[in-house]
Amino acid sequence: MASFGWKRKVGEKVSKSAVQQFEAEAEKAVDDGPSQDPEVDWLHAIKRRREILLEDCAAKSKRLKEEGALLAEHGRHWEAIKKWDEAIQLTPDNPLLYEMKSQVLTILQEVFPAVKAAEMAVKFRPLWWEGWRTLGRAQLNLGEVDLAVRSFQIAIHQCPSERTLWQEDLTWAWRLQKQQTATKEKIRQEEETQKEILNAPELNQDYDFESDEVLAACVAVAERQTRYEELKRTAVIIDAEGNVKNVLTGEEGSADSATPSKEEFVKARGL
Amino acid sequence: MSTQYSILFKQEHAHDDAIWTAAWGKSEADGSETIVTGSLDDMVKVWKWSDEKLELQWTLEGHQLGVVSVDISHNGAIAASSSLDAHIRLWDLESGKQIKSMDAGPVDAWTVAFSPDSKYIATGSHLGKVNIFGVDSGKKEYSLDTRGKFILSIAYSPDGKYLASGAIDGIINIFDIATGKLLHTLEGHAMPIRSLTFSPDSQLLVTASDDGYIKIYDVQHANLAGTLSGHGSWVLSVAFSPDDTHFVSSSSDKSVKVWDAGSRACINTFFDHQDQVWSVKYNSTGSKIISAGDDRAIHIYDCPM
Repeated sequence: MASFGWKRKVGEKVSKSAVQQFEAEAEKAVDDGPSQDPEVDWLHAIKRRREILLEDCAAKSKRLKEEGALLAEHGRHWEAIKKWDEAIQLTPDNPLLYEMKSQVLTILQEVFPAVKAAEMAVKFRPLWWEGWRTLGRAQLNLGEVDLAVRSFQIAIHQCPSERTLWQEDLTWAWRLQKQQTATKEKIRQEEETQKEILNAPELNQDYDFESDEVLAACVAVAERQTRYEELKRTAVIIDAEGNVKNVLTGEEGSADSATPSKEEFVKARGL
Repeated sequence: MSTQYSILFKQEHAHDDAIWTAAWGKSEADGSETIVTGSLDDMVKVWKWSDEKLELQWTLEGHQLGVVSVDISHNGAIAASSSLDAHIRLWDLESGKQIKSMDAGPVDAWTVAFSPDSKYIATGSHLGKVNIFGVDSGKKEYSLDTRGKFILSIAYSPDGKYLASGAIDGIINIFDIATGKLLHTLEGHAMPIRSLTFSPDSQLLVTASDDGYIKIYDVQHANLAGTLSGHGSWVLSVAFSPDDTHFVSSSSDKSVKVWDAGSRACINTFFDHQDQVWSVKYNSTGSKIISAGDDRAIHIYDCPM
């Protein structure tokens, strides 16, 4: 029966004297091995070193975090971020680092990186209302009002007793959301009216040119055109209290928009 | 009748965002089973549970800023829901129409709970007051003052004698409803109590907290009867089984656990959700459990009877 073993292999390729010498040395080493140096455990040294390294990372990251916080307090924001970035290299799953970084990035108006950092913070610690608030504030700075409202909602759902969340963050973001919706609605109306002018439903129909139907259709088209003009003249105004209003911007606005203009009427008839 | 715990049905993507709350009711009129869910997407959805599957019946619009809590009246005809914009809405489950909308005032609506006679709705407030609204009047009828912090959770005892509230600072208050007196104040947990429930015989009160523990109290003597550990994170919801011997809990550790109230041991753990499980409830017979959470899924489980 064939057996495996490196002794046999060694025996084939290495000269016998070399093997004997090696074996003798090995035996000698085993004999006085333990007495040599009990302090150095070479067998486990590598494993132990990894543990030491891990501890080091956490401690060093903590030190860097604190240094960064101190720098941020003194307004040295970029230096603080540099420290925290180093700390993130050492402990990449610490949500506190990302959250602080996001706050400082927001101060520096680095809006997109701020959102990115806050997203990491809530990813590593989803049950942390402060992380969600920081994310919401960063999203608001980026102009992502809907996302910001959602982040504040999650923060409040986790910690409803935090009054500032309601009074400052959510109320403000929600108002912006309403204003944005009002503006979008106006643009949508304007586009729809314009589309109807270009593609009037009245033109898809055959008319008896003697009848009043033609006149009615022309009036309808003309009225739509004036409505579009009026829509273009009005603007969504947000006053100092944040109320949303639709206001005519042109001074002569309402006077001639009440009656369809003669010119448009003729144009419609021409079609 | 099944002999072991198993998942029966999954409704994936039941809402467009996280589901925060769910309720299971049974109609007295026709015996049909209704499930109501509320979500961060502002929608309240009404589902019919028949032939071992869910069918969407109504999508109720009107809430803003996310639906925090829903409950179904005991005759199964009306649903109540509350949202972060502090409005409580009542819905007719038959027609899917809104019956009433009540403005509870800034930050004054969180968990909603129907009284056992379904004439009132109780909700907590940020000032530590429990406000009681009349279902017919649509107005605040009276309030019970805990003199404490923000009230996250509310439960009526099924016999109609007690009302328990859980606050954000971990304090539990038990009121006598007839006299309106505060009977007991228990320093149960040091962290928010997101859910509490009475046993069907109204003898036990089970509380769930962010500290990861579930506690069982003897209501009459206000004694702590047991502390249960097993969840790895916040315990978000608890519900007692109508069989009076089991209760179920859900947690942000993504699990749903069924406990034996007598031995206080966890007898089954479901690990079917992908994210935090915000709400868990039993059906009227205790044969099914519903759970819903951040993964937007509704799960129905079978329970041995």
